[in-house]
Amino acid sequence: MNQDKIKPDAIIPQASLIKTLLFILPMMFLTFAILTKGKLPSDPKSLFAIVITYLFINAIFFMLLYTGKTDRFRAIFFITYAVLFVVSFITHLIEIRGSMAVSQANMLQGETPFCHIVIPMTLIPLAFTRTIIFPGTIIGSFASIASMFVLWIGVTLALGRGFCSWGCFFGGLDDGFSRILKRPVIKNINFNWTYLPYAVLIAVVLTAAISLSPTYCAWLCPYKTVTEFVEVTSFKILMQTIIFVSLFIGLVIVLPILTRRRIQCGLFCPFGAFQSFTNRINVFEVRIDKEKCVKCKRCIQVCPTFSLSEEVWEKGKTRISCTKCGKCIDSCPKKAIFFHLKGTPLSGNQRIYRILFLYPAFLFLATIAGGTIQDGIVKIIRLITTGSMFIH
Amino acid sequence: MLGEGKGVVQNCAVIVQFLFGRLFGYLIFGVIAWGINRSILQAVGYREFIIGLAYVVLSIFLICYAFFRVRTSCVVQKLTGIIGRVKNTIPLFLPLFLGFFTGLSFCPPFLLALTSAADKGGLAQSILFFFMFFLGTSVFFIPAPFVGLLRSFSVMSTIGKMAAGLVGIYYLYSGIIMLVVGIKRI
Repeated sequence: MNQDKIKPDAIIPQASLIKTLLFILPMMFLTFAILTKGKLPSDPKSLFAIVITYLFINAIFFMLLYTGKTDRFRAIFFITYAVLFVVSFITHLIEIRGSMAVSQANMLQGETPFCHIVIPMTLIPLAFTRTIIFPGTIIGSFASIASMFVLWIGVTLALGRGFCSWGCFFGGLDDGFSRILKRPVIKNINFNWTYLPYAVLIAVVLTAAISLSPTYCAWLCPYKTVTEFVEVTSFKILMQTIIFVSLFIGLVIVLPILTRRRIQCGLFCPFGAFQSFTNRINVFEVRIDKEKCVKCKRCIQVCPTFSLSEEVWEKGKTRISCTKCGKCIDSCPKKAIFFHLKGTPLSGNQRIYRILFLYPAFLFLATIAGGTIQDGIVKIIRLITTGSMFIH
Repeated sequence: MLGEGKGVVQNCAVIVQFLFGRLFGYLIFGVIAWGINRSILQAVGYREFIIGLAYVVLSIFLICYAFFRVRTSCVVQKLTGIIGRVKNTIPLFLPLFLGFFTGLSFCPPFLLALTSAADKGGLAQSILFFFMFFLGTSVFFIPAPFVGLLRSFSVMSTIGKMAAGLVGIYYLYSGIIMLVVGIKRI
């Protein structure tokens, strides 16, 4: 078939069935070990959820390798993970606290789960005062500070800003909303807006260091709308609630739908800005072969985080904000964009580079998302069979 | 001075001296802010009103500074005589003096920082506040090749102005709340 007539979004097997099965075998063993932790549950609901999760994860990985499409199948996993994270998290909170709202007593007891977005805000106070400015527990509890730091360091070394497309439990929400419309309603976005996350990062890091409190969490984090928030007991908290709910509606729902881009991740998230710098030390990158490129600009149009422009095309690589989601790679009709391992020749085998990236990235996603998806499925089964998601 | 072609090591020494000068200047203002708090603000009965009003006025200036082109005068431009004398007598420490005086640019962010530091209770808090102000305003001096993104001053200027706008909105809100509390007390 003439290559020029093939639509870039068409699914054509890129590897033989046997080769693909051989490649997914290690992933099948690893995900089995991760999901079961060496022991199958006796509860039928949990067993069913494990089987479904296991099949889902490995089917996705199979399709990633078999079709050569990265973003198309990553997105299914990533969005499912984000939705079920919300289901699992909220039901968990309601079961143990009776509400999504965090009271002052909960905070004093260090019962607030720590999330990776707080990390940049904690570093300066940690260096100067040797305290973590967050009302969570250091070790041993659900989403403890130490576990999140260890997770972040590991992922940063392995994926850089790839974390935002292969691990962040919030990113799937605006990724999902950005795929609702077929075509964007808002097309022209001033490129200067891409600097806003760095400004938000500077503002929140400095205000957090000055006030010794996580200001982003208190004032701006839109994801509190679907996880937990401070109980409204004063005018100040009411204002904060209005702000973060508005930001959620605007940045995570409305603008991603209208622009078909990940607006919260690409134009606002301070953690994303912080994580962008780690792309410098990460071994994986996305490169452009300028000789193969026909300048159709599809990649620039589809990049969800504004990491491609004509200016960076000249350099043959993406901006440091690239989350390695693979959308540009999937959209390229000439296969001129590809995952690449720094320090190796650009003319090397692109498939090998891709597999070298996909293995750690997918394994990380499977590790972090597996338990959450499984728990979310259990809650949904409970809802169907008993009419309630909660254990009374 | 950096363009004299002395090499990377000498240029680093110039930058370090310059930054130390700035830091020293800001820390002095941290102490002055604490002094204002102890001597004036604690003596008057309508402290919230004064601080709130200052926050509102200065944050409006800061927001204007973020969204419009505003030129602020630099103290160094007014001190050419002193700088000339320093250059002739102790040329080695010229960057230190330049750093000290360029830090004293009475722009909206600086005045807002001074007000905010004066609002803090203790000396350590005032000094920490100005230290953070120093860190925030020194991002411009991070060498471009080191970080990559900060490749041009115009990009940094855009980021700086956006950050100023965000901080301005935060202080405007804080100022309005303090002003309301202050008016109620009067």
